[in-house]
Amino acid sequence: MAAASPSVFLLMVNGQVESAQFPEYDDLYCKYCFVYGQDWAPTAGLEEGISQIASKSQDVRQALVWNFPIDVTFKSTNPYGWPQIVLSVYGPDVFGNDVVRGYGAVHVPFSPGRHKRTIPMFVPESTSTLQKFTSWFMGRRPEYTDPKVVAQGEGREVTRVRSQGFVTLLFNVVTKDMKKLGYDTGPVDTQGVLGPSLPQVNPQ
Amino acid sequence: MAEVHVIGQILGATGFSESSLFCKWGIHTGAAWKLLSGVREGQTQVDTPQIGDMAYWSHPIDLHFATKGLQGWPRLHLQVWSQDSFGRCQLAGYGFCHVPSSPGTHQLDCPTWRPLGSWREQLARAFVGGGPQLLHADTIYSGADRYRLHTAAGGTVHLAIGLLLRHFDRYGVEC
Repeated sequence: MAAASPSVFLLMVNGQVESAQFPEYDDLYCKYCFVYGQDWAPTAGLEEGISQIASKSQDVRQALVWNFPIDVTFKSTNPYGWPQIVLSVYGPDVFGNDVVRGYGAVHVPFSPGRHKRTIPMFVPESTSTLQKFTSWFMGRRPEYTDPKVVAQGEGREVTRVRSQGFVTLLFNVVTKDMKKLGYDTGPVDTQGVLGPSLPQVNPQ
Repeated sequence: MAEVHVIGQILGATGFSESSLFCKWGIHTGAAWKLLSGVREGQTQVDTPQIGDMAYWSHPIDLHFATKGLQGWPRLHLQVWSQDSFGRCQLAGYGFCHVPSSPGTHQLDCPTWRPLGSWREQLARAFVGGGPQLLHADTIYSGADRYRLHTAAGGTVHLAIGLLLRHFDRYGVEC
């Protein structure tokens, strides 16, 4: 008996939030969450997580390593709204308050295989110098009320940000039934596999 | 009908002399293409880089097109502007690139240019800011009236665009 043609395809993503490069800050932890469209639903794994607090190594590399696992599976009927992973990095300021050090987002790669992505992290900036001083002093920096804003394009035109670090992620992607539904995702992308495991300053 | 998904990011820009940059982007397609989901144009945030000279936007693009023909393949057009501390915006460059036509993830580098005016306008731009801009944005991606322009190069916009195609093999299209 021929199998009924599928209407749903699956996307399985695993990997890790590997490490970060923030020249000016130390003792950082990160939170990740996934943002996806209406046609998508997670079927297994964790959608969100908080990592440990990591300090830079004392040697020349100054490496900040989290090695934090990601494991999630989505199902969908439509590639529109392809999942993005949103990262928020936090750390202590001079007075000991927990402040945001960067937000970043990237689409989960869609060709099956192993991918490395180094993403820039940025913080929203206050408009005036007085606001910058007050927020530094009080320990309440400008933050997004919902980090998922970082994954959207609308409403960004009025925001000013400052990019101040990078985070490296590794993904392994497996898809099921995309070919049966007629989708062509292209050749397996091996661009990110080669290269040193600690991030360079310029991505790719 | 064949479908095309354009999923990716406008990563950022390098090589511009100004530092607080933002980008207005749009996608132009031919008559055979229909946008099923997604926003066709937008504007990124303004980024001032702390490390290095690349301004990072990480602006997501997610578009779903249905098409009846290959003509009018989508073109992404960009306008890079800089914003100074007073909030004034000045044009830094125009650029366009075609969305790639083979499925998979692609790293694109889009060069930009800006119109030069007369020597008076160039001097004014150096001191006061401003400078000539295009009246009609479609000159950015069409070749029609370009012979009238005298331009100088701006920096480069970097994009990571992924393309997902559906049912192209049914119509015998190889890409």
